[in-house]
Amino acid sequence: MRSKLAALSFTEKIKILEKLRDRDKAIAAAGLRRKPEAQSAKKTVEKN
Amino acid sequence: MKETLETINQMQADGVIGKYAIGGAVGATFYIEPAATVDLDVFVMLPAAASHTLISLSPIYEYLKAKGGREESEYIVLGDWPVQFLVPSDALEIEAIAQAVPIEVDGARTWVMSPEHLAAIALRTDRPKDHIRIIQFISQGALDRDKLNTLLLRYGLIEKWKHFESRFLEGTRG
Repeated sequence: MRSKLAALSFTEKIKILEKLRDRDKAIAAAGLRRKPEAQSAKKTVEKN
Repeated sequence: MKETLETINQMQADGVIGKYAIGGAVGATFYIEPAATVDLDVFVMLPAAASHTLISLSPIYEYLKAKGGREESEYIVLGDWPVQFLVPSDALEIEAIAQAVPIEVDGARTWVMSPEHLAAIALRTDRPKDHIRIIQFISQGALDRDKLNTLLLRYGLIEKWKHFESRFLEGTRG
């Protein structure tokens, strides 16, 4: 699989890079939405 | 990517930058499997760099903002790619630009650093993702070992390479 990916044309590889980049952006954005949960966990710790 | 490269090429034609080369993860992807990255690293020679002690990227940013580029932290977004412009910090990076390989992406002409220069720069940068990249270059047979050895010798990286080999490559060769 890795050698097949390495053998793709650069143009095709760039398309894959763009998909990976957009996926990373989406994951990062989703991570931000979980922040309130992390904050509530911190408050729990502080109470203890 | 095509739009991004055409903008950079136009900037070069307009004399804002001299020779340039793609490095980093996108450059490595020319030779090995694609690896996730958020930006395009472009190493540039500045036309007046030789006569100034203080190097500024302002002319690049001003030019690109006038062409619709948008600043985002250390990047400037061209087309749909955040681009980080880097001035070579030493002779190795200057040589990497000078000896970059001409290629075409979607009909746009550009230059990418050689795999040996990318590996030498990764070795010197020495982050975990750089180690992974070097191992990928080796495992996919992308490096000319004679060329790499010449670079390592010329730029004082032999000891660092030996350390890298003992840490990551011992036991992987048959």
